[in-house]
Amino acid sequence: MRPARDGISEPSRPAIEAIRLSKAFGGVRALDGASFSARRGEVHALVGENGAGKSTLIKLLGGRLRPDSGEVRVLGQAVELSGPSSAHKFGVWTVFQELTLLPWMTVAENLLILREPRGPLGFIDRRRMVEEARAILADMGVNGIDPRALIDDLSLAKRQTVEIARAIARKPDALLLDEPTSSLGESEVDWLFGLIHQLRAQAKCVIFTSHRWNEVAKIADRITIFRNGRDIGTFSEIDESHAVSLMTGQRLDARYPNRPPLEEARPMLEARGISGPGVIDVSLTLHAHEILGVGGLAGHGHRELFFSLFGARPTTGGEILIGGRRARMKSPRDAVRFGVALVPEDRKTEGLLLPMPVGVNLTLAVLRRISAIGVLRNGRERRLAGEMVDALNIRPPDLRHPVGTLSGGNQQKVLLARWLLADSRIVLLYDVTRGVDIATKHEIYDLTMRLAGEGRAVLIYSSDAEELAHLCHRVLVMREGRIAAELEAPGVTAEDIVSAAVREPSVVD
Amino acid sequence: MPRASDISRSLDRLGLTRDRRRIVYAYLAAITLFVVGDIVHPGFARLDSVTAVLTVASFVGLVAVGQTFVVLVGGIDLSVPWVLNGAAILLVTTSLGRDSLSPYALLVTLGMGAAAGAVNGFAIAFLDVPAVVMTLAMDGIVEGLTLGLSGGMTCRACASYAPPVVQDAVHGSVFGVPAALILWFVVIVVVSFILSFTTFGRKAYAIGNNPLASYLAGVNVRLVTAFLYVLSGLFAALAGVLLVGFGGQASLGMGSPYLFQSIAAVVIGGVYMLGGRGHYLGVAAGAVTLVALVSVLLAMNMPDYGRNIIYGIVILLLLLLYGREEREE
Amino acid sequence: MSIEATVARPPTRIAYFLGQNAGLVLALSMLAIAIIVYCAVYWFAQAALPGNFEITSTVNNTMPLVLAGMGQAFVVMSRGLDLSVGGVIDLSNALAAVELHGDVARMVGWSALVLLIGAALGLVNGLLVGIGRLQPILVTLATLSVYQGLAIRVLPQPGGSIPPAYTSALVNPNQPYALGFVLLVGLVWWAFRRSRTGVSIIALGNDEMAARANGVDTVRARVTAFALSGFMSAAAGLFLAATATAGDATTGNGYTLTSIVAVVLGGMNLFGGRGSGIGVIAGAFVTTMIVNILFFSNIDPLYQSFYEGVFLVAVVVLSALIGGLLRRR
Repeated sequence: MRPARDGISEPSRPAIEAIRLSKAFGGVRALDGASFSARRGEVHALVGENGAGKSTLIKLLGGRLRPDSGEVRVLGQAVELSGPSSAHKFGVWTVFQELTLLPWMTVAENLLILREPRGPLGFIDRRRMVEEARAILADMGVNGIDPRALIDDLSLAKRQTVEIARAIARKPDALLLDEPTSSLGESEVDWLFGLIHQLRAQAKCVIFTSHRWNEVAKIADRITIFRNGRDIGTFSEIDESHAVSLMTGQRLDARYPNRPPLEEARPMLEARGISGPGVIDVSLTLHAHEILGVGGLAGHGHRELFFSLFGARPTTGGEILIGGRRARMKSPRDAVRFGVALVPEDRKTEGLLLPMPVGVNLTLAVLRRISAIGVLRNGRERRLAGEMVDALNIRPPDLRHPVGTLSGGNQQKVLLARWLLADSRIVLLYDVTRGVDIATKHEIYDLTMRLAGEGRAVLIYSSDAEELAHLCHRVLVMREGRIAAELEAPGVTAEDIVSAAVREPSVVD
Repeated sequence: MPRASDISRSLDRLGLTRDRRRIVYAYLAAITLFVVGDIVHPGFARLDSVTAVLTVASFVGLVAVGQTFVVLVGGIDLSVPWVLNGAAILLVTTSLGRDSLSPYALLVTLGMGAAAGAVNGFAIAFLDVPAVVMTLAMDGIVEGLTLGLSGGMTCRACASYAPPVVQDAVHGSVFGVPAALILWFVVIVVVSFILSFTTFGRKAYAIGNNPLASYLAGVNVRLVTAFLYVLSGLFAALAGVLLVGFGGQASLGMGSPYLFQSIAAVVIGGVYMLGGRGHYLGVAAGAVTLVALVSVLLAMNMPDYGRNIIYGIVILLLLLLYGREEREE
Repeated sequence: MSIEATVARPPTRIAYFLGQNAGLVLALSMLAIAIIVYCAVYWFAQAALPGNFEITSTVNNTMPLVLAGMGQAFVVMSRGLDLSVGGVIDLSNALAAVELHGDVARMVGWSALVLLIGAALGLVNGLLVGIGRLQPILVTLATLSVYQGLAIRVLPQPGGSIPPAYTSALVNPNQPYALGFVLLVGLVWWAFRRSRTGVSIIALGNDEMAARANGVDTVRARVTAFALSGFMSAAAGLFLAATATAGDATTGNGYTLTSIVAVVLGGMNLFGGRGSGIGVIAGAFVTTMIVNILFFSNIDPLYQSFYEGVFLVAVVVLSALIGGLLRRR
């Protein structure tokens, strides 16, 4: 933990302050009177678990959202931010988790949008635009990205690099970064930290969020810990276990339920040499009662692998065996028939029908069970759906409520319940605790353990290496579409997973 | 002054969700038009006048069935005009005005509609051709085939009449109610049932709401989508059959007003253009509203151009009315 | 999205151009092929190559579509659709027939006024879509009806006459001087791409939320896109009137859908954000070439729509296939 810097900049007037900010989404309080202040010439980290409110806070400070109550102050002055562009006027530039790049335009066009160099007649000079973009990228030490490339053709890591480069090129007074390293490799992270050092030396303010302790320790001057939407404390020095206990409010080992014992090594799903776009020669075996984890940096093939195992992505090679027999899965329908379930990452765009009632969402995968000759049996539907609502404690317990009005945690439970109804023997969980409040997270952990305990095979991907380390019997680490390492519990730590994941060729020298 | 969103929430609690409210509005609009029409042109709301309007609306309503199905999944069917027209011509030329040939003729005609829909559905669902483009092209394809094969309606068989059984079916009446209306009523019940109470309907709504989520839940998105276009073609052909039964003979261009009217009926009926929300009950009311509007304008002896202008303005007003509710929420 | 392998050799400028402009390249190739086929068919029919007369009339006949297509392109780039194109053309055509006479000053003045009216009509569309947050298809379908009504009001029967001097200036019947206007339209696109307005509209079509986060005024961009479309449609109406040398308030109707065809043939994606206006110009010419080819191949003109429809689908399916192959490289 870096000691607090002294003497370089006046800490008198804080650069950015959050004063008792609150924000709720459909009945769930993401932020509950959170406050903190960051100074000029300082690197300030916001730390907390998934769902603690860090992203929401960044969105409020960056102008993407408006607070329900509380104030944002820039240089001591209260400001009303109507959008990211109004934040820009105050010199506050943000790199959000959801990138704001225009996919069908080039890197150069994105870097210089609305600031393009003009020719003598007042029209954009496209050649000069490319040259200026090249200069910007070179200035910042970015070497592997051609300004003429289309954003859509770039990998996630390169896109994140472009977005970061764009924000810094605007010479911000305050730079906000939300999980900036989520898909960057080791040298790219070093590159970013180099730029952050430069900004600090120029007496600018840098605020970033992370749930990776070693990064935070490396670069932050001060950290503010968040839990359940509130700030717990600001520290210039703190050790990891203390920080973690503040983040979770519990002792480290009490956070996760115990893993069920591995009774039998009966393989339920076996993948041999699966290859396809984004996946190269992946082989793995899922056993009954087992929780197998898949880790690594975002964008390295996890999503493609999960979708391929669910029949939702075409494969160019390899085969899948279920219960020892070859299973041809060309669509999710086939997968469901074979007893495989996939709970996808983005419940809003990939999982749920938001305007439709909870009951409809719950029974979507088991239409045959609630109908006779194609006609829906209302009674049966209500009974089955009602059982699930009770079993998983879904609130509010009204089947007719549009699922979009439920909290993130309850929405996730609806999605899980859908597959519980389908009685799937093989469950693929893709980042199911993202954006979920802590209480629900624990319910989901318990549910996961129960699933495995009942004899199912569970495959989990999580962006949180801590979760994988504590929940899984084994962890496979993916890097560039391949399995790079296999780690056996007990004794796996988050660091093990992250270090196995980060070595890769990158865009920066 | 209560905000629209407060009123909406209170109505929600009474079980009148936004989608159901739209259906109610559509019926209110229809009733309002009859009242206004009677004021402007006394006698407009008499039983025989209302019946006439409803009968004409039934043809729009039939075409709108298909349009409802495809709009619910976020698509559109621009091939309606010539599938309808082609079906009418195909019926007369195949049956040659004879009852004996009519079963065969009906089979061929409805089959043509289904086939056109199947090609649309295949291209849209399986080849990812945008619905606007494919159905537009199909309209041209059917037009070309119809004109070419009939020699521009100069073939000998083209002047035939529709078989008497079809004509009677359309003109006849049961207990004083026109047969066409009874048929439409049956269609309304069947279609509403399909949408609300069958797995097929459930899948259609799911696809319209979120095709990816539906796919990942095991719904056969492509097949269901393609089949909806088959249904659209089928109902357009059916409308053509009934129209030619109504008028006796087929003519060129008889299908063109039905494109705009079917889409307008769908919109007035509260079906969401991007898919996933709405119901045929509202569309039926929308069809009646539309035809009633045209009839009122005709009864007022409004010249052609005036009808067009008022038509468009009324649609815009209705859109703004629905739109406002959406925005405040 | 894709796993980046280390690139041994950086892509050349040509490679980037091809990869990012696949639609334009395809459209230009199609145009080249169409011209060659046309010449071949003409040769077999007439034992000579198409001469000055054919070239001139082809260019003159394509001018309205070039303009209407470009206008539609602006709207499509913003992820919208303008179905009122036909109505604006009708109104512009009608006004031209009635008011274009007298001295040069009057004709120039009225031409400018008609263009402004077109822009205003487009502005209405833009405001309803941009600020009213209504669906483009529905709004423009309604305004189509209104504008058509207005056109019929202005010119109830085909008639009026366009002075020969005006016709000579726009669509000279003896020499293909209209190619100069085609070049002008191309320059308009060039300028559009390099202007703040153009960049805003293209960004909007890419991703509305991302555009706004980047400081783009998306409402203004949307409104401008529709206003530009109205302006171009009005210009198309003037050219149409000049070609026909008389006015008709209904000949513009077909241009709504053909302008969409030109956009699609031009390789522009209907979902917006990408594509080239130059491709749309090529697409307009391809459309006319098809008609010419059909004419000189002695294909029964009644089947014309059939071939056009098949062609449209074939192009879309093939270009999707080719595009997929190119991108996988």
